[in-house]
Amino acid sequence: MSRLRRRTALALCAVTGLALLAAGCGGGDEDDSAGLPADQETAAGEVSAPPPGDGDGVRLGILGQCEGPFGGFHEDVVAGTTLALARFAGATPNSSTSALEGFTGAEVAGTPIELVGIGCGDDTADRILQEVRRLVEQLGANVIIGPLSGDEGIAIAEYAKANPELTVFAGISGSQEQTLQVQAPNYFRFYGDGAIWSAGLGDLLHNQEGWETVAIIADDYSFGHTSAAGFVADFCAVGGEVTHRVFPPLGTTDYSSYIAQLPNPDEVDGYFWAVGGTGTQAALEAFVNGKGDLTGDQHAGNLFFNPDLAQALGTDIAGAYVGGFATLPGDVRTPKIEEYLAAADETWETIPGSLSGNEPAAPSVAAAFGFFYGYYTAGVALAEALEAVGGDISDLDAFHAAVSGLTLDLPYGDISLDENRSGIVDVGLSRLALDESGEVVQETVAIVPGVDQTFGGTFSPDTPSPGRDFPACEERDLPWVGNAIPVVDGVPQS
Amino acid sequence: MTVRGQLTRRNLVLAAVVVVLLALPSLATAFFVNFVMTQTLILGLAAATIVFLAKYAGMTSLAQFLLFGVAGFMFGNAALEAGARGLNLGWDAWAAVGFAIVVTTVVAFVLGAIASRTTGIYFLMLTLVYAVIGYFVFAQIVEISGPGGITSIQRPELLGPPVRLYYAGLLLSVLAYLGFRSLGRTAFGLALQGVRDDPIRMASLGFNVALHRTLAFTLAGFVVGLGGLLNVWWNGQIDPASISIGPTLILLIIAVIGGISSFEGAWLGAFVYVLVFTYLRDLPLIDRIGITEARFNTVIGVIVLAIMVLSPEGLTGIIHRLRGRLERPAAAAADTSTGGPLPLRKTEKEFGGTRP
Amino acid sequence: MAHTSAAQSEPSGSAPVIEVRMVTVAFGGLLALRGVDLDIMPGERLAVIGPNGAGKSTLFNVIAGDIAPTAGKVAVKGQDCTYRPSRHRPRLGVARTYQKARTFDGLTVRDNIYLALAGHARRHRALWRSSVDARMRSTAANVAETVWLAGQLDHPAGQLAHGQKRQLELGMAIATGPDVMLLDEPASGLSRGERERLIEVLESLAPEVTLLLIEHDMDVAFRIAQRVVVMADGETVTAGSPAQVQKDTNVHRIYLGTEATA
Repeated sequence: MSRLRRRTALALCAVTGLALLAAGCGGGDEDDSAGLPADQETAAGEVSAPPPGDGDGVRLGILGQCEGPFGGFHEDVVAGTTLALARFAGATPNSSTSALEGFTGAEVAGTPIELVGIGCGDDTADRILQEVRRLVEQLGANVIIGPLSGDEGIAIAEYAKANPELTVFAGISGSQEQTLQVQAPNYFRFYGDGAIWSAGLGDLLHNQEGWETVAIIADDYSFGHTSAAGFVADFCAVGGEVTHRVFPPLGTTDYSSYIAQLPNPDEVDGYFWAVGGTGTQAALEAFVNGKGDLTGDQHAGNLFFNPDLAQALGTDIAGAYVGGFATLPGDVRTPKIEEYLAAADETWETIPGSLSGNEPAAPSVAAAFGFFYGYYTAGVALAEALEAVGGDISDLDAFHAAVSGLTLDLPYGDISLDENRSGIVDVGLSRLALDESGEVVQETVAIVPGVDQTFGGTFSPDTPSPGRDFPACEERDLPWVGNAIPVVDGVPQS
Repeated sequence: MTVRGQLTRRNLVLAAVVVVLLALPSLATAFFVNFVMTQTLILGLAAATIVFLAKYAGMTSLAQFLLFGVAGFMFGNAALEAGARGLNLGWDAWAAVGFAIVVTTVVAFVLGAIASRTTGIYFLMLTLVYAVIGYFVFAQIVEISGPGGITSIQRPELLGPPVRLYYAGLLLSVLAYLGFRSLGRTAFGLALQGVRDDPIRMASLGFNVALHRTLAFTLAGFVVGLGGLLNVWWNGQIDPASISIGPTLILLIIAVIGGISSFEGAWLGAFVYVLVFTYLRDLPLIDRIGITEARFNTVIGVIVLAIMVLSPEGLTGIIHRLRGRLERPAAAAADTSTGGPLPLRKTEKEFGGTRP
Repeated sequence: MAHTSAAQSEPSGSAPVIEVRMVTVAFGGLLALRGVDLDIMPGERLAVIGPNGAGKSTLFNVIAGDIAPTAGKVAVKGQDCTYRPSRHRPRLGVARTYQKARTFDGLTVRDNIYLALAGHARRHRALWRSSVDARMRSTAANVAETVWLAGQLDHPAGQLAHGQKRQLELGMAIATGPDVMLLDEPASGLSRGERERLIEVLESLAPEVTLLLIEHDMDVAFRIAQRVVVMADGETVTAGSPAQVQKDTNVHRIYLGTEATA
């Protein structure tokens, strides 16, 4: 019996060895491996058809983040796309209290839009790549909406470039390179990047508030760099001077040593802050400890500045200017915005979005914020592009051309794409101010129309990514200088 | 049934598994082969180096994922020709492979030498420190890591079609598995086990214990570097977050799920991990009981906990025990018919010795 | 039971194989050895005895290279080894055992002995198996037979009984055919029968093998040794043949503990 087993073992071993050898040789031989089903799928650099793609409909995958720092926005972003398809493609959400349950009945010009899956990122590029591969390669998605954050955007743009049969509408990912450098012909972004959201602020501070010199403090990672880069490009273009750039690492809790590197309030006209998350308040408190009291007029920040800061810092923060984000500040109300928010409230009873602490709340709460809105614009772009090609996506080049040519009529301002397929957008600038009851509120002061990501040539496909030293401080012509539309009591004065 | 008898049966099963894996691209969907199984093989290969160090040298290393990443970053820096990220040396792909492996091996040698006088929990802590420092090195020295990661990494022409990457993973996995297993019977491997059991005694027998540990760590670094190359080819990009503490712990968890003293377990653990992350959400009604994507890490944690309680030797331990229970009656019959275990043991031994 | 072979092997005029010169070891403020001098001639069988805390083990560890002395010098075969770590000793033909058996519990008896052979043969880092390994394996089997472990050849050392581990210790020491063997209390914890076996093995060693024995058990020490050195309080008190030492009143005092100086 043992002898028998031994023989079988030897035979099996021999077979294995031979098979391995064959595979080894086969691996190097074109024809041998080309017939395998696994070869029909590609990851990098080859054209192929997605596996279960039945027919000519849109098989949509949405990339969100259910974990990590933006995990709380998972519901918001999926709801954003769902609302767009509910308004313009006749979709009906499967649940009246959550968008994550999916939707049915979406159709544009006779072409059905089926939601095949929702990807769950954790704010890392590796994870979002795995999620998109699952959506595309396993579930057969041919259109992707997402992702949410900057590094993810670069990875997904690269993936799109390697998979030309795919069409991607970016969600709310704010890195510059995903469009400017990667240049994937099938990757479209209908909103601005992190630099754009600082546009117009320099113009306003230099020409209106008379700032000549500014010191910058920003998180030492891509979004901090990009946000600061937009401000530097804008402020320097109109003739201002950046005297200091300080970059505390992400996750710093004690900012005192970085504050010490900043000039004193009498040595500089003002400060620009791009420190995010819990760091905003901690950094400002360290400033008060190190440099004396705040004078709101002397400060400006990116989207992380908000009225909540007054709770810890007092009303001294009033007077500070705040850069834009994907939506206009909440006090701007136009009929289009009202209509948009009302539509959200009609689509669901409640949505447990991040702004309500993931507790059920009126959907308009989530819809008024940038994360929801970015995914909404992507959904609108998908619906309008389908309309433009009569629902025929068999000719991808035509479909992509149609997307590139869209000008979306959106509640917070029209958006069209530049030649890198990134949005040309309106940026809303605001200011922290005291209302009649003495509370600090955010008031919109201007809308800067037609901002594109090149900043008049400061950024181009040939320039490096925004960093600690880039861009340098240089004067140049910006298309939007002097075009800012003043806003009074929430009403644009155009 | 004797231990040796089990061994042969194990070899048979493993050979059968390899045959199935070879035929897999003709049997399974492209996604399963190119995503699930390729990732399993890559993570299994990396986890096998943890098993190698833990099983033979008694060194539980948390630095393997760092070395995995070093290989990826080095390949990206050397192979990319242009762009805003990395050094863009623009070398030939295979020169870049050589460069990445050499750098990874040298880094492993240096890190191994520094850690060679620590054991047990101190070694674990020191390699954890390596992992953390390594993360910050790549996160802050942006010249070699991007900034923000190195993207658009293409694999060499030879590995163009994804299925070839799968076969490359399979080939390296089989080689690493057989190599690690047979290494245990060589002078180097036996001496390593001696170092594990009693380093002081090994020194008095004339062995240079610190050098031995260093070389073992270096060898593990070389192998995990190969895995790191496969990974960066499979993923197309690598960034500092890829080697942060999260993935580092995941790799250790994979080794623990499989059974930290079993080489098969490394790949088994990787398979379970990838399966959970890919397919768990597809189970009907799974979200109704609260298991959504956001909670997969919790699920993995519960699996690890359950395995640790049920079987400290991981899944392989459970399989061995189940098989032992099934085979006991059959084994008794076999013993009476062949006249005792002794001759059986001898044959198996010879067979075991002839394995490559 | 005096050793007839031992007496004649006393080489006249040749250099000592181990020289210990004025060795002092201080552990903090405690002087474990106070200027010990000791010469061991080739082929000599020397036992060091003494009560607990006398410094026997420290002296042994200094000779074996586990402890570097605070002052003084140790030479093996004329080479200064004072500060050389223990791993250089096998090269000089020195093998040792430990008081508490230090075997490789995860490896088989055969592999334990194999490692002793590989360490001596400087086959440390071979990544493949060759005929050299096969030869060492069969040598290991022979050695196992010598120390009555033939039946346990493929058993993990961790499963051996205490006495068997001591036998394995001894096997690992004699496997490489050393010129000098340092045995740290080889009889401790052994049963009477095991002790007899131990003495049998030691007596069967080639006459030119030098033997240094630390022993608590007088019986074994006096049967194996030609010369006995008595230590107390970190110093050598007296030395001589077993018969002389047994008669020495000083020794009796020391062991009875009435006086602890010399």
